[in-house]
Amino acid sequence: MNIKDTAKEVFLAVAPIAALVILLQVTLARLPAEVFMNFIGGAVLVMLGLTLFLLGVNVGFLPIGEMIGSSLVTKGKLWLILVAGFVLGFVVTVAEPDVQVLAQQVDSVTNGSISKLAVVSFIALGVGIFVALALLRIFLDIPIKYLFIAGYILAFAVALFSVPEFVPVAFDSGGVTTGPMTVPFILALGVGVASVIGKKNASSDSFGLVGLASLGPILAVLLMGVFYR
Amino acid sequence: MIEVLFEGFTEVLKEVTIALAPLILVFLLFQAFMLKLPRRQVAIILKGMALTFVGLALFLQGVQVGFIPVGEEMGKALGALDYNWILIPIGFLMGFAVITAEPAVQVLAIEIEKALSGHINKKLVIYSICIGVAFSVALSMYRVLTGVSLWCLIVPGYALALFLTRYASSEFVSIAFDAGGVATGPMTVTFILSMTVGVAKQLEGRNPLLDGFGMVSLVAMMPIISILILGMVYNMKEKRIAESESRGEKRMPNSEEGCKEWSGDKAVKRAERPELEEAP
Repeated sequence: MNIKDTAKEVFLAVAPIAALVILLQVTLARLPAEVFMNFIGGAVLVMLGLTLFLLGVNVGFLPIGEMIGSSLVTKGKLWLILVAGFVLGFVVTVAEPDVQVLAQQVDSVTNGSISKLAVVSFIALGVGIFVALALLRIFLDIPIKYLFIAGYILAFAVALFSVPEFVPVAFDSGGVTTGPMTVPFILALGVGVASVIGKKNASSDSFGLVGLASLGPILAVLLMGVFYR
Repeated sequence: MIEVLFEGFTEVLKEVTIALAPLILVFLLFQAFMLKLPRRQVAIILKGMALTFVGLALFLQGVQVGFIPVGEEMGKALGALDYNWILIPIGFLMGFAVITAEPAVQVLAIEIEKALSGHINKKLVIYSICIGVAFSVALSMYRVLTGVSLWCLIVPGYALALFLTRYASSEFVSIAFDAGGVATGPMTVTFILSMTVGVAKQLEGRNPLLDGFGMVSLVAMMPIISILILGMVYNMKEKRIAESESRGEKRMPNSEEGCKEWSGDKAVKRAERPELEEAP
């Protein structure tokens, strides 16, 4: 595990925007000093936290993702792989930092009437179902283009019946699922499955998994809005 | 100062426990029934999990104490300015700052270069994603200020994206849609989203839920479009070269010129020094 590289990566991700915020503070925004100090303190915590998180994921979670993926595939049972794809997609998304933050913001903006737990659960359900579907696609050999087209058309159709307030949140949740935890996990699973089926283009088959997985939460949160009505 | 920073930390610890418990449980089940790893390996994995736990807790605490409240306050302060249109160029800069620092973009660019067998320069891919993302954050600021519905942007956006899939191979379409997620890193969701929510709270007649959110989705949509356009232009170029070759015309110099124009000086340099291609 490489602490220095990870720390540098995290620093480079946070620093440019933090610098811009400091610049805005001294020129245009001029927030009270105590409030602004929270930003500096928060930035330090975020950098520290993100570094530890990424290191921990690399040591603790990615290896087991790969091991589970390959041991499942050697059993060769389709239903088992699909169930595991669903379960892993679900639990990994629950642990995704970006998802936690988005759900937190929805919770606080709505004063808790759309709870954090509900948002996280629906997003995770969406990812789980779509990871399973995406793995099924590799078996059935359906061109991925059609899935994207059908999926997004379906999403817009469902959006028409959803509460309007849910639409922006739903499309945002499609973006937040693809974070540092989910992406490597899903990719490891996909590469494993594709290589066992023994098709010639195993690596290109695992492309698109992440894209499909981010369709899931869009649909799930939109459906949540339909029921909410 | 330190006390303020750790306000509500017990709540965060509880949330992190809920967030990680299912994943750990799944691992333990697999370990007991399928994996049966040796104890030493399990110990390393458990250490990694402990690190993840601490890291996630600190990250969420920092976001909750620092980024979300200050982001909102800043959004409110800037939204209250007479010249609050300045949020649009600020958004552009923020988009640029967020994306240039995103390591995943580099990885993506290499992937695309490979998929198009090196005909498109990596730099060009990165620039087109950067400009796309910067533009979409600026657009989000414009949207909060004016209250334009998200529909008016994502319906045409995705319609364009789906239409463009006609001109790209399945593999390239996959890469493009994967790319949508690449742009939305932790800084986008934490700070910029809080800012747009803050602006929406400040301005009269704006609903933070309806107008503040939606920023992430625009950031996710833009790279899909820009990469598909890149793919289409590449396809057209391929076809033209193929046509001119099939007509038996010796137009090699011309097509090479097109290639140079496409990928800038870098391509020329790379042709001279093939080892550059290996470097990430």
